[in-house]
Amino acid sequence: MHSVEKVLAARGLVAKTGPRFSGDRPMVKRNKNWKQIILFLLPVLTLFLLYFVYPLIFVFVTSFTEWNGISAMQFKGLGNYKRLFLSDTFRLSFRNNILWALVLGLVQIPLAAGMAMVLARKPRGWKTFRTIYFLPNVISQVALAMMWLAVYNAEYGMLNGLLNSVGLEQLTHNWLGEYETAFPAVIFQQLFYIGYFMIVILASRMGIPESFYEAAEIDGANVLQQEAHITIPMLRGILVTTMTLAMAFGMRHFESTYLMTNGGPAHQTSVMGIVLYRNLEALRFGEANAIGTILIVTGGVVIALLRWFFGRKASASETVQ
Amino acid sequence: MKKSINRSGSHIAIQAAAKTGKWFYILFFLVITFLPLVWLVISSFKTNFEFETQAFALPKVWMWSNYKNAMSMAGLPRLFMNSIIVAASTTIVNTLVASMGAFAIARETFRFQNLLLNIIVAGVLIPIIALMVPFFKLVNGFGIYDTLFGLIVTYSAINIPISVFLIHGFMGSIPRELEEAAVIDGCSFSQRFSKIVFPLTKPGLVTAGTFVFIFCWNEFIYAMLLTSSEVSRTLQLGIRFFRSQFVVDYTSMLAAIVITMIPTILVYVFLHDRIISGLTSGAVKG
Repeated sequence: MHSVEKVLAARGLVAKTGPRFSGDRPMVKRNKNWKQIILFLLPVLTLFLLYFVYPLIFVFVTSFTEWNGISAMQFKGLGNYKRLFLSDTFRLSFRNNILWALVLGLVQIPLAAGMAMVLARKPRGWKTFRTIYFLPNVISQVALAMMWLAVYNAEYGMLNGLLNSVGLEQLTHNWLGEYETAFPAVIFQQLFYIGYFMIVILASRMGIPESFYEAAEIDGANVLQQEAHITIPMLRGILVTTMTLAMAFGMRHFESTYLMTNGGPAHQTSVMGIVLYRNLEALRFGEANAIGTILIVTGGVVIALLRWFFGRKASASETVQ
Repeated sequence: MKKSINRSGSHIAIQAAAKTGKWFYILFFLVITFLPLVWLVISSFKTNFEFETQAFALPKVWMWSNYKNAMSMAGLPRLFMNSIIVAASTTIVNTLVASMGAFAIARETFRFQNLLLNIIVAGVLIPIIALMVPFFKLVNGFGIYDTLFGLIVTYSAINIPISVFLIHGFMGSIPRELEEAAVIDGCSFSQRFSKIVFPLTKPGLVTAGTFVFIFCWNEFIYAMLLTSSEVSRTLQLGIRFFRSQFVVDYTSMLAAIVITMIPTILVYVFLHDRIISGLTSGAVKG
């Protein structure tokens, strides 16, 4: 039969070239469905190559050029990078991204972990709390940003209204318009949306056997001691993973700042993504892609550093969660 | 459960403090996450005068007319239509493409399959905003700039890593015997996919589909970058123009914002179990 011949041919081929390709895995042979496999992989690979592999190479390569999309590219070496790091705006934006990363990693993750620890002890209604704390994560950044613009509004915003009604008029600000308050206000807006990380940490916490806590209870350990000596060490892995992710998110933070302040006042809230977008709009594609490269590299460095620091190997799929 | 033996006074005090602290923590987050939302919804029912003078009072008359104004002034029906077309099409295209790929990787053996899976899944680690210039060039190059189709293709591609990850996980857990039996009964490769594995992966598809739908509905950056005219404007982009459309009628704008939040909240209300299980599907490994 036709297909049997094919199988035999495939096996013959493997036998002939076996030692060269698969020294330690002699069992590997060409799958008889290889044509269909390729067919099934084709759409996903096409999209992946077009939208991930090609753009990555493109961003990297063109970051060394000056190019406006119309006239020919000119090779500039590290010129774009030099110019960026000499510009005050970009340096400030870079610093702001690092602050974002630190705040999300070192403040938001502990807050989320705290909530996971509280809910894991199943207080009344814990499932409802778990569900509603995640709710803001399904609302668009645009709608949330518009809402917070109203909250921070100097004349009739909620925050100033609140301060006025409790007699703290001297504390009212034009939150997003003033030099000192704009950046903290933008960060504050994101900081307490802990739902995503809380759910991920909570799932791991639920995996710790209840008997550990019962044994500690019998030994006289109070709740805080139990959390410190059982939960935190057992959750080390997921805490590192979520911290890594949060910091990576901080390094690429863009959307809500763009929507709320567009980097103002006087670049105080600016982040790298905003500078990238400005360069794109001005058709300075080389410079925009240099920022893109910096975004990708710093994100990767954050992940690698934390992994190295906490001495934990992980595959990409593990970092996803 | 047995009470502890050496329970000192300080022990009891700490347990009591922890109990109070716990509820304080829960309530604090409840207030800080939902007070602005509640304030937004209440404000959207006020007259502009009430809104500007009494930030916290309930409206004297609930102004449903704000919502009528919002619908007509911002052109919401059109924006909704565009967003639904983009989100629904992307969800279908993306889950179909991703499940075909995931099927080949999860249910067959071939060289470098794990490497391939890891490379695709590693795509989630790439900051998508870094790729603005190439995406812009790509969509222009295909001649699909300023079309809903351009957004559908782009969104379908962006979501490949997460969908492949989720669907592959579900497909890997289906027992092999089912397929083996089907092969003996004469099922071809594509029938194994369409008749056995695809239907059995439904929970995974719903999870991945929900993620993709919510992503598309909320996506802003690429909608801004890849479209320019009103014909292909999606809801999130439309919200940006509210401030110029509702110059004098601030509370109607707030009503419009509330309306745009409703669809994803509804999806979440009905599918939150699937979303939460999707978020935690890999967490056991952590």
